[in-house]
Amino acid sequence: MLRLPVLTILMVLIAGFLFFRKKQPAPTTPAGKGCVVPKEWLVSNPHPVTPAEHLRPADQTFLTYPEWFLVHSPAEMADFAHTHTTTTFPFLYHVKQLWQSYGIVYDQIKGSFPFNTGYHVMIWVIGVSTTVEYAFKTLYETIIGRLTNPANGAVVTDEDQFNARLMQDYVDFIRMRPWYEFDFASRIPALFQTTSFFGPYFLRKLDRKYMLLTELLVKTGYGYLIKLGTKASYDEALPTTAVVVDRFPGSGLTSHPEIQVVKAESDGSALLLLPRYEAFHPAVAALVAQGVGFREIAGNNSAILLTVLAPDTWNPGFPECKPVFTQPIKTKPGLKRVAVVTPVRWLAQTVRLLKEQSVNIEHIYDY
Amino acid sequence: MRLKHTLPLSFLLFTTRGRLQRSSYWIVSLFIFSTFYVLYTLLIESIGDQSTYFLYPLLLGSLTTTAMKRLHDSNCSGYWLLAVLIPVLGPIWLIYQLGFKKGDRQKNRFGTVPDEAADYFKNDLGQLRPGLKTGERIINDVTQLNPVVVAEVFRPTSVEDLRERLRITTGPVSVGGGRFSMGGQTASPQSLHIDMRGLNQVLDFSKENRTIKVQAGIRWCDIQRYVDPHDLSIKIMQTYANFTVGGSLSVNVHGRYMGLGPLILAVRAVEIVLADGSFVRASRTENPEIFFGVIGGYNGLGIIATAELDLVDNVAVRRKDQKMARSDYYSWFQTHVRSNPDAVFHNGDLYPPAYRNIRAVTWLKTTEQPTVKTRLMPLRESYPLERYFLWAFTETFFGNWRREYLIDPLIYLRKPIHWRNYEAGYDVAELEPRSRTKRTYVLQEYFVPVRQFDAFTERMAEIFNRFGVNVINVSIRHAHADPGSYLAWARGEVFAFVVYYKQRTSETARQEVGTWTRELIDAAVSLDGAYYLPYQAHATPAQFHRAYPDAKKLFALKKTLDPDFRFHNLFWNTYYQPKSLES
Ligand SMILES: Cc1cc2nc3c(=O)[nH]c(=O)nc-3n(C[C@H](O)[C@H](O)[C@H](O)COP(=O)(O)OP(=O)(O)OC[C@H]3O[C@@H](n4cnc5c(N)ncnc54)[C@H](O)[C@@H]3O)c2cc1C
Repeated sequence: MLRLPVLTILMVLIAGFLFFRKKQPAPTTPAGKGCVVPKEWLVSNPHPVTPAEHLRPADQTFLTYPEWFLVHSPAEMADFAHTHTTTTFPFLYHVKQLWQSYGIVYDQIKGSFPFNTGYHVMIWVIGVSTTVEYAFKTLYETIIGRLTNPANGAVVTDEDQFNARLMQDYVDFIRMRPWYEFDFASRIPALFQTTSFFGPYFLRKLDRKYMLLTELLVKTGYGYLIKLGTKASYDEALPTTAVVVDRFPGSGLTSHPEIQVVKAESDGSALLLLPRYEAFHPAVAALVAQGVGFREIAGNNSAILLTVLAPDTWNPGFPECKPVFTQPIKTKPGLKRVAVVTPVRWLAQTVRLLKEQSVNIEHIYDY
Repeated sequence: MRLKHTLPLSFLLFTTRGRLQRSSYWIVSLFIFSTFYVLYTLLIESIGDQSTYFLYPLLLGSLTTTAMKRLHDSNCSGYWLLAVLIPVLGPIWLIYQLGFKKGDRQKNRFGTVPDEAADYFKNDLGQLRPGLKTGERIINDVTQLNPVVVAEVFRPTSVEDLRERLRITTGPVSVGGGRFSMGGQTASPQSLHIDMRGLNQVLDFSKENRTIKVQAGIRWCDIQRYVDPHDLSIKIMQTYANFTVGGSLSVNVHGRYMGLGPLILAVRAVEIVLADGSFVRASRTENPEIFFGVIGGYNGLGIIATAELDLVDNVAVRRKDQKMARSDYYSWFQTHVRSNPDAVFHNGDLYPPAYRNIRAVTWLKTTEQPTVKTRLMPLRESYPLERYFLWAFTETFFGNWRREYLIDPLIYLRKPIHWRNYEAGYDVAELEPRSRTKRTYVLQEYFVPVRQFDAFTERMAEIFNRFGVNVINVSIRHAHADPGSYLAWARGEVFAFVVYYKQRTSETARQEVGTWTRELIDAAVSLDGAYYLPYQAHATPAQFHRAYPDAKKLFALKKTLDPDFRFHNLFWNTYYQPKSLES
């Protein structure tokens, strides 16, 4: 039977064409071909003032983007889950955004910094596992989920509400801690305690229980393995980011216990420790509000990446920062994410200008 | 018979019977998912979301049925699909079972191994055609060149049945086994045709004495399946295992075995039903004239009911090949093969159209592990590659050249090790073209004393090239002398030239084949050789008697044992009593 292989090849080609053809809006649009960041912004600081234990490689501001996308994506899903079942969530669109943005950020640093093997490996591991997870979800939701989905994706069953809560708790957690520390296991009894067995949308209830149970079991197991693997291959990361500011804010810090002073210099500058990750941006915003400027962040004075969530029509419109790429927020029409870079010395000004434009900073990628 | 080729795709997608092998399952799954994705995307974009729901019965239906058939492949019922309801473990087990586990290598309760034919290729039971009287059937052979209308087809299931039928009837009788002979040897107009294939029992088997007694309608492949578990192998048979023992005895066949020769060398005794229904046993010592008249006797004296055959060890054999100039072959053969005790099979392939080079292929006894997984040759539903090559060698420009210099060198790169039984288990199906209506593949064979090898090859090549014969292959085998059968084709030590060629089926094409065949026969006979009788009867009676000088003795014996000339077929009608047909 030669007919079948021939037909299969044909169908796979057509399917591939449909999947990869250019669609509007594109999941990710680069600001230009290749590296769009001025080369002089991509030079490692030769003589950092920041002590060695607080230094981090300059290219990591870019490489942390794909990792953070895996927070932005569940965050978008959690928002969506309050009003829609996640059955119609655009999982594959997010997979494309993940890999495309990884390609673009890598284009920016390629050639300017030595290849950061450890970081790339980590991105591939989490990228591939997320791709597999999202692909399975798409498959399941398309084959089964769609058939039991209530009209307009209304969140009417206990199980879909459980899912919405789970998503929100998960996102809140991973903003602070690594995902694999999330306690999926304790949610398994909760799934059965907080949902009724019978009820309207009976098939939907069964389908969701099956799906949620599967997800919780798999993530419990996978999280356990990743935790072991991470312990074995990466050092425990510091929870702080050291910054050198040009002006010691003095008493302005009293209402901000999360900002620690390490050393104040006689020229007025100071070395501060700010919380890392999610809390870094609020701390920066607080310092900017006091008129402070930045000289080094984690020892770097080169480019730093920020993402903002802005209306479709927004453009930065000031030369201190350069857009790198934009990604539409598929579940919130009219909104887009824009990744921009600015040298550390202009970060304060950029934050200030963005605030004036009432544009929300989603995250500052503190290396 | 080879129904699967004509089945529509829907059969694969929407039926639950039978088995599906791993590779087919991957392909069909890829097909289902990619087709679904394409239709789903196009429907959403052109009509809208709701329109996609009609795809679901097709999607879920085909996924279920193909998965069920895949489960059948490892002897699991389709209900095991319900394992998917056990979260995590169920799907993991199913993914392994469906996508990765190999199927059973044997037949199981859901069917035979996929893509393997259930059985060796068989000829029909006699065709019906409009206009035939009640009971009449058309009996044809594998070439489809010799249709004969017989009065009735009788298929005995016991020797008693057969004897009774001969006792109570008069009139002409023809006998067919596998009907792979090619010149009407199995039928005669308006005869009672006896289809021997129902008599296929093993009657006696002794592992210690290495003998087996069988009913003559049994096929070699059936015997192989029977003796293989005892590590035994049929001593002499052809390369293909489709033939019946009775048909092979009546032709006194040979294979590619070294140190052996005509089948009669491996026969201990036969039991014969004579024209009046009486029963005699014959061996070299008991009724020897019947023994030597019936073996190789084309059903002239009586019907072979049973046979007692020798068996040998089923050894592993390793292939070794060497290409050489044809002129070097004879001396090379004498020193390397003829007296090599380890040589089990040997043949030389003479490359057309120049016939100047030979590839000598020898299978030597070995203690190494065979490279094939099965002990017997697995059968396939179709042989697309083999058919393509047959077509390409004969129908394309430089086809023969490509075979000699590109394809065979590649094929012979491998150094396979097979079991003796495996290597004697080929299925004629691999040679079967899609259709035999316009062109057909035909065999011929010539025998010459070994020292005449070069002389005959040169004459043969000259005749083939003069007539532009579309020769696919000339395979050379070796045989020791026949111990005395009347129609012995090996009156001394001989080389056999098996010629496989393609011919058109039109009348003029047949006439032309007749002309060059008679030239070849003259060439063989003039070198003190012979031609083979199970193929088309192109030889003149004079040629026949020169090639088979003892035929007269057989004819005399037939007069006494079959005085009313009951046993007919094209062979006897042509050479024994040509006039009897006209009356
Ligand atoms: C592809 C192919 C390859 C071949 N290769 C070889 C080969 O390598 N070596 C070789 O020697 N031959 C070879 N042959 C020829 C083959 O061996 C003979 O045609 C053989 O007779 C086929 O057996 P069968 O069961 O089909 O006999 P049939 O064709 O059915 O019968 C042959 C003759 O035997 C008679 N007969 C059948 N059964 C009985 C019986 N029980 N009692 C008395 N008479 C009977 C028939 O009347 C007929 O005259 C080959 C043929 C083909 C088609």
